[in-house]
Amino acid sequence: MIRPRYLSSPGSTGRRRGSLFLPVLLLLGAIGIQAAPREADEDGFAYPLSRLEFNPGLDQRIFERSTFDALDIYDPYEPFNRRMYHFNYRLDQWVLLPVVRGYRYVTPRFVRTGVTNFFNNFGDVANLANSLLQLKIERSMQITARLLFNTVFGIGGLWDPATRMGLPRQVEDFGQTLAYYGTPPGPYLILPMLGPSNLRDTTGLVLNYGLETEVNFLGYHRASNKYPALTALRLVDLRHSVEFRYGQLNSPFEYEKIRYIYTRARELQAED
Amino acid sequence: MFRLLCMFVTIALSSQLLAKDIDPASYGYPLTNPFESTIATTPLQLRGPMSADQDIDQQDFSLRLRPEREFTLPDNFWAVKSLHYRVARQSGPAPLIFIISGTGADYASSQTESLKRVFYAAGYHVVQLSSPSSYDFMAAASRLATPGLSAEDAQDLYRVMLAVRAQQKDLPVTGYYLVGYSLGALHAAFVSQLDDQRHGFNFRRVLMLNPPVNMNTSIRNLDRLVQVRLENIAGNANFYELILEKLSQYFRYRGYINLDEALLYDFQQSSFKLSNEQMAMLIGSVFRLTVADIAFTSDLINRRGLITPPGYPIDNGTRLEPFFKKALLCNFDCYVTEQVIPLWRERYGGGSLTQMIDEISLYAVEDYLRQTSKIAVMHNADDMILGPGDIGFLRRTLGDRLTLYPYGGHCGNLAYRVNVENMLEFLRD
Repeated sequence: MIRPRYLSSPGSTGRRRGSLFLPVLLLLGAIGIQAAPREADEDGFAYPLSRLEFNPGLDQRIFERSTFDALDIYDPYEPFNRRMYHFNYRLDQWVLLPVVRGYRYVTPRFVRTGVTNFFNNFGDVANLANSLLQLKIERSMQITARLLFNTVFGIGGLWDPATRMGLPRQVEDFGQTLAYYGTPPGPYLILPMLGPSNLRDTTGLVLNYGLETEVNFLGYHRASNKYPALTALRLVDLRHSVEFRYGQLNSPFEYEKIRYIYTRARELQAED
Repeated sequence: MFRLLCMFVTIALSSQLLAKDIDPASYGYPLTNPFESTIATTPLQLRGPMSADQDIDQQDFSLRLRPEREFTLPDNFWAVKSLHYRVARQSGPAPLIFIISGTGADYASSQTESLKRVFYAAGYHVVQLSSPSSYDFMAAASRLATPGLSAEDAQDLYRVMLAVRAQQKDLPVTGYYLVGYSLGALHAAFVSQLDDQRHGFNFRRVLMLNPPVNMNTSIRNLDRLVQVRLENIAGNANFYELILEKLSQYFRYRGYINLDEALLYDFQQSSFKLSNEQMAMLIGSVFRLTVADIAFTSDLINRRGLITPPGYPIDNGTRLEPFFKKALLCNFDCYVTEQVIPLWRERYGGGSLTQMIDEISLYAVEDYLRQTSKIAVMHNADDMILGPGDIGFLRRTLGDRLTLYPYGGHCGNLAYRVNVENMLEFLRD
């Protein structure tokens, strides 16, 4: 496997001299040298940049123009949002993440998965409602099947047999429904604790809460009124399952970058 | 007969000094396109043995190394006023390995995490360190906060490593090892040299993965990546939108969205795959965004007034977009010219650009690398931070301590099982 250098530097000379050297190249190929044209020099350097076509002459500034364009997001409440971003960052570091660490420490993995599955199954009610509102028939049927399987066979949603049966979870929220009916995103907002949002998605969250109150699926809403610990558990589970960490981008411009990522991700979800 | 034997021995001895070239046919790494491998790294099923995250006993710690910055830096830097690092500890006594991250990367970046899983699975305590060129390190641990002067960066790193050891004094360590990738590999060489003078750790083995050889070449190559010609970009089209459009077409075609590690690999196998130029642009953009961070942070901490006016009031609510835009216009070359060279001239009494390049590149430690058998370099023939002659330099300097892989781009194959095997083998003997 490890060969001395003189064997493995494929001669670009072979290529230059053309068909005469084809047998030699084939021979080299037979003893383990890549026959495909690769302009490696005698050191073995493969000149990766030679594969690229560059803009001739003037700098086209594609990178700069694209990035400036990406910064152009409607954010009239930026000073407030930035303060909220820092508030959330601190809350995350000093309260939420320590709580999540404790939660992970005291619960076995299957319990945590069960909790996540339960709240996901619960969330499928809203997914179904929004899928229907957006007239996505096939998706609505899939989500209905998920709800049925997971609630019945998964014992109230503690297990997730539907995913294993080929029905992956598909999220449709009220923000997406509003977007479907042409509501513009409105100003960018950072919500306390919940993080990046915009006016449309915030409205969606409120509608979602209203739906949960009305439907009272599995009696959860009434139970959560009685036992606030349920709501706490839901929040802990939410933080546990969201991978994002503040400071993860490790950039002084994390705010701007997250703003772009959030906005574009929501647009893509709405198109889907 | 005796002559023949002599000849055989001579050949055997001389081939010992030649670099280990990994043969492309038996190597088996699937991505032969350097841009693809750099972006998608190694497919999951081809990775070497790694610990799963939940099986690792790990924790983040912080060090207060530059307390004065707590007063001189604006409020919105609060999160990086102390330096964070991550320790993964084995249950009993074990050797400890430091990982130095690459350009702009912090201790928790994906490449550093991946190396941690490899070394942890092999039984090492692992300490993950941010690169001296990363935002957090610059603010919290760097004296000059102007990354690029390799010897100075190495001193900062060394100080951090000593502080880490002091803070982790209850960790039962049987020996110290050092590994760095990308720019971190260059730092590893300088740190090792420093350690051989000060004997703080007496590293048993130092492993350099894909180091830049000539800083000027690497900087220019990376700057050039964003100068490629893109077909569908005319007028005001946005490059990011182009990539996102392709991704969303792909998701629509697949019928669902999966944002896992296999995504990029599968995507490049589909008909929506990115062209070489688009991938180069993507890699180049990531580096340029890093440079913008470096240029902004360095300028602000040193109050140079190139991007942020000195004394400009900045708090948690201040809009940073104008400064971000200004910093974005500065590429690697501009950062070096505007911030690194003036500092270097001031500290070392003048000197030309060529002199500085010699001092901050691997050339500065050439003799050290030649003499020191505990250091090895692993590199890829198609790494885009290298230029002509760089591999020749490594061959001459390191001899058989250089392992050259035919593919992998820039750090794309670090988790590949053959690479992992070779790394662990080098650290073991």
